[in-house]
Amino acid sequence: MNSGSGLFKFLIFVLLVIVVVIQGLSIMQSDRLCERLDGLIKTVSESQIAMANPSRGDDGPGDEGDWLIWHIPAEPASLNPITGRDVYERWITGYYHNHVYETLLEYNWDTLELEPLLAESYEVSEDGKEITFVIRDNVHFSDGVKVTADDVLFTYETIMNPSIDSAHLANYFQEFKEVVKIDERTIKFICHKPYFLALETAGIMSVLPKHVYDFNDPMQFNDRYTNPVGSGPFVFEKWDTAQKIVLARNENYWGKKPKLKKIVFKIIKNDLAALQAFLAGEIDFYKRTASEQFVKYSKDPEFLEKASCLEYWDPRVAYGYIGWNQKKVYFKDRRVRQAMTMLVNKQELIDTIYDGKGELTSGHCYKFGKFSDKTIEPWPYDPEKGKELLDEAGWVDTDGDGIRDKDGVPFRFKLMAVSGSPVTERTARAIKDYYSRAGIEMELDFLEWSIFEQKLYDKKHDAAFLAWGGVITPDAFQVWHSSQIEGRGSNHVSFANAEADKILEDARPTLDEKKRIKMYHRFHRILHEEQPYLFFRVRPRLSFIDKRCENVKVHKLGLDPKEWYVPKEKQKYK
Amino acid sequence: MIPTLIGITLMIFAISRLAPGDPFSLQSGPGGQLDAKTFGNYVEQQKKLHGLDKPLPVQYVLWLKNTAMLDFGDSIKHHRPVFELIKERLPITLMLNVIAFVLIYTISIPLGVLAAVRHKKFVDTSMSVIVFVLWSIPVMLAGQLFIGYFCGPTFKNWFPPAGLSSNDADTMAFLPWLGNRLWHLVLPVICLTYRGFAYLAKQVRAGMLDNLRADYVRTARAKGLSNLVVIGRHAFRNSIIPVITIMATLLPAMIGGSIIIESIFSIPGMGRLAFEAVTTRDYNVIMAVATIGGVLNLMGLLLADIAYAIADPRVSFEGKL
Repeated sequence: MNSGSGLFKFLIFVLLVIVVVIQGLSIMQSDRLCERLDGLIKTVSESQIAMANPSRGDDGPGDEGDWLIWHIPAEPASLNPITGRDVYERWITGYYHNHVYETLLEYNWDTLELEPLLAESYEVSEDGKEITFVIRDNVHFSDGVKVTADDVLFTYETIMNPSIDSAHLANYFQEFKEVVKIDERTIKFICHKPYFLALETAGIMSVLPKHVYDFNDPMQFNDRYTNPVGSGPFVFEKWDTAQKIVLARNENYWGKKPKLKKIVFKIIKNDLAALQAFLAGEIDFYKRTASEQFVKYSKDPEFLEKASCLEYWDPRVAYGYIGWNQKKVYFKDRRVRQAMTMLVNKQELIDTIYDGKGELTSGHCYKFGKFSDKTIEPWPYDPEKGKELLDEAGWVDTDGDGIRDKDGVPFRFKLMAVSGSPVTERTARAIKDYYSRAGIEMELDFLEWSIFEQKLYDKKHDAAFLAWGGVITPDAFQVWHSSQIEGRGSNHVSFANAEADKILEDARPTLDEKKRIKMYHRFHRILHEEQPYLFFRVRPRLSFIDKRCENVKVHKLGLDPKEWYVPKEKQKYK
Repeated sequence: MIPTLIGITLMIFAISRLAPGDPFSLQSGPGGQLDAKTFGNYVEQQKKLHGLDKPLPVQYVLWLKNTAMLDFGDSIKHHRPVFELIKERLPITLMLNVIAFVLIYTISIPLGVLAAVRHKKFVDTSMSVIVFVLWSIPVMLAGQLFIGYFCGPTFKNWFPPAGLSSNDADTMAFLPWLGNRLWHLVLPVICLTYRGFAYLAKQVRAGMLDNLRADYVRTARAKGLSNLVVIGRHAFRNSIIPVITIMATLLPAMIGGSIIIESIFSIPGMGRLAFEAVTTRDYNVIMAVATIGGVLNLMGLLLADIAYAIADPRVSFEGKL
């Protein structure tokens, strides 16, 4: 064997590898070429429809064109509004913004009242059991087919189909006995009994085009995760796995067309990378910034020249809490639970750990909303009063080891929290410190979410550090009614109070909002006295928006990029 | 090879199923707001739908049977065949790793040779120091530092902080597009590469030193062969065996390492898929990724065996059947 030939073969091998890589790259490139051709054909055919079908509605201020690059921290699993479960599906195509799919009704961004969208009008019968929607005559899906009662019926039936992976939604629709199509444009939802959320449930349902989504085999529908088609102002263009999802303007839209030509949802998981991308102009809309980043940059004059820093509230903000498991001996007594709240200086935690971005809260409803009783002040930080209450409840240090005890049981419990968030971990440690000063030993248990979740439902835990997301119209039944303690109910602190149960039951058929507000105010008071949770804080939304976007308004419901535009001279993308 | 592979899958299967939690309750979570009774039904129904209601051994045998026919099943989270998910992501991970792999070898082999030739001189010592300093910097830290210092206008805006291409890459012509893509790959590849130098360069250096002291090298020199030929053809070829052995272990290790790098740089590769699958208990994806990782591992070993035969005429496969 020639002594040089081995080396020669090795070089050939390396060369081959390089050739394969280049070949792979060029295959990807030709794929892209095909995609571009497809896109071109699509645009041409769309513009033909648009010519035949001039769009309606006034244009509003601003120049047309440009893209909005919108940061999302994780990729949605699916863009199918029925099988999809995550919040990003709702941002991108779902009912939060109605970009691709639309709903019969929508919340007014400023008044938070339900208003017709696909529906022209709606009517709730006297007894509250029947809701009738009349669909607009001029609405059509992006492919030109008219929206009819059949599509609404199809959507409802798909959600209720037991073979469809939609149990999480179907639960809400169980309130309906049946849905009846009256004529092409009229559809009626009939409830078993009056329920105040029925209108919202039926109205805020993304309507799917039957001619696109119809299926023989339910698995076919379950597997449909992409290529969403709806009637909204944007159409789906492309999904680059784990990189970006692109929506393009629906040139054929029935209503007021947005100014932006495209919205690109850019998926960046790493916070620091997302911030850098924003600074470099790769992202225009950084919706959920960390409070630390926000505080630092909102004081930087150079940054403020380039970007707006918005701090705002919307009813969907979450509230953080510590839930005391009342099955445990420590937390059976209301006085102990009150004391636990008084021992923690929550304001200090907000100021130091959350950079002052947050407000104390005293109940389960959106703090600034109408269902929250604003006369209730959160319990003050009062360690002396807290210790007195503990003494009263019988928790005193009898054996002199520095830890309170009662009937031979020392006050030593475990707080479990979800691991992975440094902020949560710091907060939990600080709280541990407050309690140790009052003779209570709290151990910390940071768990991965899946394990945390299982422990929570087994109800073997002592206390849990968690947060609940907010809603516009609250129904507290699932979290607070005593029937939700057993099994996998959401009442994981085992809160049971006869008066509260009665209120929650009575509130459900009460359609009169004023009466319901009164009931909820009373319920709020009960929660405040009972303190089943240590209600901790709510956090405002903190967003960065590139200054090239104009007409950015803060509504009561948050930000709506559909109304934004970029002036001609600042446009970057074509 | 086959029994090893089955062993690997059995282990992964056991570990993933014995971990607490299940994919369905995770999907809805407490935020899912299902009432108590519906939730129980929902989980049961979902388990049936995905065949998770059967006893574990049955599940494993079924999985093995399907996998033998290259059917990895459906992802629970994505509602898609796992095969499709992997098809999208594997090329990206492989591309990253192959580039890094080639780089590691093209840089550290000459480095090692150089250090051996200049034994105990300035070049040798400084190389050792630099290479070991690099080796001891954690990838997570380096990645975050790179993003912090080289990816934004605050310091140097040289590289993009995330992803594989720019926002408007789809409208570019081929060469700018290729440039854009390579530009996005620079930092991730550096992160994948820099720790690999130390071990390999040291191995080459040690092997070379042994051989340079050997008699045949002295003979070669005495023959009047040029220095280049002595080092390149005689000493180097004989010290390449350990380098090949490392190759077999380096490739799989790098694929493991890309889990971290893909998360830091938001690159849609296998590593990120695997990580998300583990946190959401997406069993089929976990199994598929682990199996493919195992296959790559074994293939690395096989490749090393073949490379032995090329590099060293004493090793041959003939007559061993």
